Amino acid sequence: MQSLWIAKTGLDAQQTRMSVVSNNLANVNTNGFKRGRAVFEDLLYQNIQQAGSSTSQNTIDPTGLTLGTGVRIVATEKQFTQGGRVDTGDSTDLMIEGRGFFQILLPDGNLAFTRDGSFNVDAQGRLVTSNGYEVQPAIIVPDGVTALRVSRDGQVEANIAGQAQPSVLGSIQLADFINPGGLTPRGQNLLLESFASGPPQVGQPGLNGLGELSQGALETSNVNVVEELVNMIETQRAYEMNSKSIAISDQMLQYLNNNL
Amino acid sequence: MDKSIYVAMTGAKAAMQSQAVIAHNLANATSTGFRAVRQSLETAPVEGAGFPTRFNTLTLPESWDNSPGEYVMTGEVLDIAVLGDGWIAVQDSQGEEAYTRAGDLHLSATGVLETAEGQVVLGTGGPVTLPPFNQLTIKGDGRISIVPQGQPPNTVAEVNVIKLVNPPAEELSRYEDGLFRLRSGDIAAVDPNVRIASGQLEGSNVNTTALLVEMIAAARNYELHVRAMQNAEENDQSATRLMRMNG
Repeated sequence: MQSLWIAKTGLDAQQTRMSVVSNNLANVNTNGFKRGRAVFEDLLYQNIQQAGSSTSQNTIDPTGLTLGTGVRIVATEKQFTQGGRVDTGDSTDLMIEGRGFFQILLPDGNLAFTRDGSFNVDAQGRLVTSNGYEVQPAIIVPDGVTALRVSRDGQVEANIAGQAQPSVLGSIQLADFINPGGLTPRGQNLLLESFASGPPQVGQPGLNGLGELSQGALETSNVNVVEELVNMIETQRAYEMNSKSIAISDQMLQYLNNNL
Repeated sequence: MDKSIYVAMTGAKAAMQSQAVIAHNLANATSTGFRAVRQSLETAPVEGAGFPTRFNTLTLPESWDNSPGEYVMTGEVLDIAVLGDGWIAVQDSQGEEAYTRAGDLHLSATGVLETAEGQVVLGTGGPVTLPPFNQLTIKGDGRISIVPQGQPPNTVAEVNVIKLVNPPAEELSRYEDGLFRLRSGDIAAVDPNVRIASGQLEGSNVNTTALLVEMIAAARNYELHVRAMQNAEENDQSATRLMRMNG
């Protein structure tokens, strides 16, 4: 009966991988999306005969007898490679070239992090995400702004109608993590700090390994469609083989029951 | 009862166990750095009264396939693949040294280099811990160099060297946690000839086509043994019928 359950772990694993691939493909046009990857490891081995146990008075078993029990999913980790660049010409669209995340204030008062820099200005003049969540540190754009400029190091300046001097509105700071793969995805293109990611290290864009900002451009998803399609084929075939393994084990048991 | 039924039983049992091994290999057809399990069987003569014509099937200790798996480009610096023979040294849950081929590494929140399962990667100078850095490179011989945080790009510091070993395959065994260790209990010495590549992962070395064939072979083999058991039963029935007093 054991082989049935071992093959089942294989089916489960491939099913999860398929979900990850589907999610990647579904987000091929999501700004700042980072592709996921399912990581598998072999499950515990059952010790049938302990290595080093004696086989006679003077001899010991050199290797022991262990039986594998299948596969398990260790993690579905995000891969933070740089996505492509799309020029939009919109002055509130920002892209990070390199490491780092924009900081976003959630309605519950917590901070979230994102690579998606498609910002807008809301009715109160605040710089917000497409969902209306405020960018931190807060940038307030006053009325009558004729042009908005974001420098590569995050300083936001505005030309206001009737004023010769541009005024500084504030500066955008980026957060970085020791282990970005450990961030918890929250949906809406947002990620949350976790125990595994470590605390955010906030800094000025372009310094301490943080990426610089590019205005009027957006970072596209880093999903590689061809790679995902190959993954999908591999997943499907692996799934089929595992179900074949169940079918054959079943046949064997059936044969035993019918013939004895 | 005819004793042959017990001989057939050991054969059927071994065929069923092979099926479990094949299922395990198939389930791990996409596990990073997985080494396929090989099963070997042996005949053992049945001792005792009668002619020495009966041989039971015995399962021999597990061995594993040492051929390389396929390499997949990932582009992530912390994904490393061992090229050819060799192993990455990690620390198991008991703090002892063990070896793996799975090179999908990541950094913990405290900057410790870990495998996907959370085992600490060992360097030649103990566990690998990285200070905050701007940039990270892993060289072919396991050297990790970084541009420390806040330093210009031309300041390169070498932090640690990933411990790569290459003990003879026949001295290594897989243990319950899936990690490999030297059977002698010793620690393998660093082998400067082992090469790794950053930005790649080694997949599983399971040969799925061969496994499908083995699966069918094991199933037919099983049926033969069941058939033999059936024959033993029929013989026994005939004997009983002959002996019956139906005068």
